[in-house]
Amino acid sequence: MMTMKQLERKLQRADQKQALLYLFCNFVSLLLITAYSAMMFSPTVLLILPQGGDSRKQLTAIFVLALFGCVVFTVYASGLFFRRKAAQLGTLMALGASRARLAPGVFREVLLLSGISSLLGIAAGFPFVFLLWNGFRLFIVDSQEMQLRLDYRCLAVSAVFFVLVAACCCLTAYRCLHRTNIIDIIHEEHKNEPVKTPGRWCGPAGIALMFFGAVLGYQAPGVYMQLFSAYPTALLNLLYAPVFVGLYMIMLHTVVHGWRTRRKKPCRSLIARSMMKFQGRQTVNNLIVSTVLIAGSAFAIFYLPMLGVSQILEVRARPFDYCYHYRMDQDILGQDEIAAKASQYGLSIKEFRSSPYLTLGHDSLVTVEEGRSFHLEHKDLAGSVKVLSASGFHALTGKSVTVRPGAYHIISTADETETYFYVTDITFLTNMATRGTIPVSFAGYVHYDFLAGPSGYYLISDADYEAISRGLTPDWRGTISFFKMDGADSYAFAQDFFHTLTTSFGPECEYGYYYDRVQKIAADEAGERYWGDTDQMTRLSYDNADASDFRLYWTYMPKIRILDQNDFLKTFAVYLMMFLFISIICTLAALIISYTRCMTITLNNRYVFDDLRRLGASPAFLRREVRSQAGSVFRIPVLVGMGAMYFLYVLIMLGNDGKLVLSELAGLAVCLCILLGMAAIYGVVYCYTVRRMYRALSL
Amino acid sequence: MLYIKNLHKSYQSGSKSYPVLKGVNLSVSSQEFIAVMGPSGSGKSTLLNCISCYIPFDEGSITLGGQTLKNLDADALARVRNEQLGFVFQDFMLLDGLTVRENVLVPRIIRDKVDAEANERADSLMSLFGIAHTADKYPAEISGGERQRAAVARSLINKPLILLADEPTGNLDSKSSRTVIEAFENARRQLGATIFMVTHDSCAASFCDRVILLQDGLVCDTLQKQNESQQAFQDRLLTAIKTMSSTK
Repeated sequence: MMTMKQLERKLQRADQKQALLYLFCNFVSLLLITAYSAMMFSPTVLLILPQGGDSRKQLTAIFVLALFGCVVFTVYASGLFFRRKAAQLGTLMALGASRARLAPGVFREVLLLSGISSLLGIAAGFPFVFLLWNGFRLFIVDSQEMQLRLDYRCLAVSAVFFVLVAACCCLTAYRCLHRTNIIDIIHEEHKNEPVKTPGRWCGPAGIALMFFGAVLGYQAPGVYMQLFSAYPTALLNLLYAPVFVGLYMIMLHTVVHGWRTRRKKPCRSLIARSMMKFQGRQTVNNLIVSTVLIAGSAFAIFYLPMLGVSQILEVRARPFDYCYHYRMDQDILGQDEIAAKASQYGLSIKEFRSSPYLTLGHDSLVTVEEGRSFHLEHKDLAGSVKVLSASGFHALTGKSVTVRPGAYHIISTADETETYFYVTDITFLTNMATRGTIPVSFAGYVHYDFLAGPSGYYLISDADYEAISRGLTPDWRGTISFFKMDGADSYAFAQDFFHTLTTSFGPECEYGYYYDRVQKIAADEAGERYWGDTDQMTRLSYDNADASDFRLYWTYMPKIRILDQNDFLKTFAVYLMMFLFISIICTLAALIISYTRCMTITLNNRYVFDDLRRLGASPAFLRREVRSQAGSVFRIPVLVGMGAMYFLYVLIMLGNDGKLVLSELAGLAVCLCILLGMAAIYGVVYCYTVRRMYRALSL
Repeated sequence: MLYIKNLHKSYQSGSKSYPVLKGVNLSVSSQEFIAVMGPSGSGKSTLLNCISCYIPFDEGSITLGGQTLKNLDADALARVRNEQLGFVFQDFMLLDGLTVRENVLVPRIIRDKVDAEANERADSLMSLFGIAHTADKYPAEISGGERQRAAVARSLINKPLILLADEPTGNLDSKSSRTVIEAFENARRQLGATIFMVTHDSCAASFCDRVILLQDGLVCDTLQKQNESQQAFQDRLLTAIKTMSSTK
């Protein structure tokens, strides 16, 4: 004698395929979310990516995107599951089963499916991270910082997501059971969700709106700060909203009209277009989510080439193999000692050049913050600059520059990028030992890439140099030296040189270039606490001389060509790993969503294909219809997502200094190649999906 | 046995309301075999769905076996559907994961009353409708006609007051349609079933005692079968339908 429970179990067994699809979708969502949050909240990553830094912000932004994508995907999966389930529930209700009779079984089933898939996803998330991380260490790069440490508090994100998944599914079940129209429940599976047909202007207007939104959102903070002398709140990011409206319009156009105008054969895509249009809402949602994930994936992967290419070009273009500088109160290797050390490695050095420099205080307009608002204020001791004399510059570089007394030049790169680091409104320089000053004014840039940078050098006349250096103590004086290797360099020597140099410095030099000694003195004199003495500042340690933050930020970090070339991956390993990981996660999610969408189209429209076959449609015709739909699902998100991110990157590059320099162009070219590679991956999955669709439709 | 008075039903689409039934009045006696015919959009299926308690109606009353179907809560309506109504859908609505026998027994399983008597009744119904040999097969393994006859057997398992059928032959060829209509006839003759069928098929309707013609949400004519041949009744039906169409 069959009971209701046994009946439900039998029906569940018959619906196994649908349940498996739901299980798979939830499993993937939870796996990706768990893996991402495990990575995001890993102490290893949090230690490397500075709090409030751009990398951390990018990471969080893409995390939010991925979270959004997974939420939409899960909601979609539960909707899909219930579309199939509805016919069964509707039939039982039509035959007299009350809600109270059906509810326990339905809720038991959805909670069981959601629970199992979520637990499996969460459990698989950690091995997934472990495999990916250690695969990266094994096959790409390993460094001492890459010891994977996980903070299991990240499980809170997965737990919240699991609750969301279960709640969403229970809500769908509740809504299904509480509908008053049983006929609607029975026909839920075949219910169309057509979208309103907009004009053909919709797509082009969407593209324009996306451009407009991107420019508006990107430029708005700058304009806001200029207008209101205050930092904008996060709400200003709402100005990016037109991007999403535009994206929706593009996808709507894709579903309703498509992008090919078939003037000669307007009926050619009629059937495929109609099929998509009548499931328009779901299709548009899916296309948007895929696009957002692909954009996130592209954004993450761009980080690597943009960083790498500029680094490679900069290192390759260096005129000397070695450059190091130090304070005169430190006991540091001189030319002879270096030559002796080099000979131990069978090497010899050549063209050793050296010049003294001074660290001086300067006046300037500085930004004084009061909460969110700020104002500019002139300060006599605004910060420090490293100053070379004209003759010192000549001794180092061989270049002659005429500097008139009372003028100062800034040494910048040839393309004058990153000039925002430099101070061009200095009116006097201060000897920090005697507090004597000399008046100066900005006289333009002198180009020498090797000496440029955030803690770069300024140039004054020999006479001014002589005058201001009088009475300056050794701790404010320094020496900068360049040299080349005679013949091939040795990595072992470079390592030895670097570590010997590092251990030669005293603890008074154990700080980053962002720690300004003049600002510290000014703050002390004003009775204020200097920010560099607070926890906001990243501490550096000689003990971790190979750590990325030490190599990136130490104020006396030497430039060593062979070391920078070989250790690039090591220095940036965590960054590379993190962004590569994000890209993989987003790509996987986008591929799975596109695949699931295509298979749903197949399942939902099977009867249409059967009817077409009965009407005499050839297999070739039906295959073309399949390809036409799958093509839109894959092609448009790839084009829009990747295109939008490429455009945004160009915008960012332009936003830095208003131009695209060689390294940026080269980086963008590499990004383009990577995009082509990613598109090829999508192409392969598209082909696989189409084959699965053919098989499902027996074509 | 079934009384419908001044039945109104409209559908909402956005802010617009589309009236489908505009005051239908009719009654059905016990053991009657009635068909409702009418052009598409005349409200046939809506009428049937209102009687079946599948959709709520706006105004009027439906009384089934002395019980008014208005203002019943969801559980009471479910009980009515299970115990007093049998329903045959156009697309069979058999549950794919269950065998034919299990499908026939579903209304009893819902009531938790699958006893020896239920099994015997299922067997006798399947024999009566000529599908006993399919008892252990799944719906996907049998023909359309067999599926519909299984649905008829399912609708009668709880000895309902009335069997409601929505285009029961709509998805079938003429041969299968014939077997389904014969199943209805057998049900009436041997089990004393009352049958209320919505159909477009004049041939199927010609088997009925009475045919109600519906147009624009109102009963516009009723044709009673006289002492005439089935073919003559069908011809009369066709003429009435033609007249109805031309006066529209």
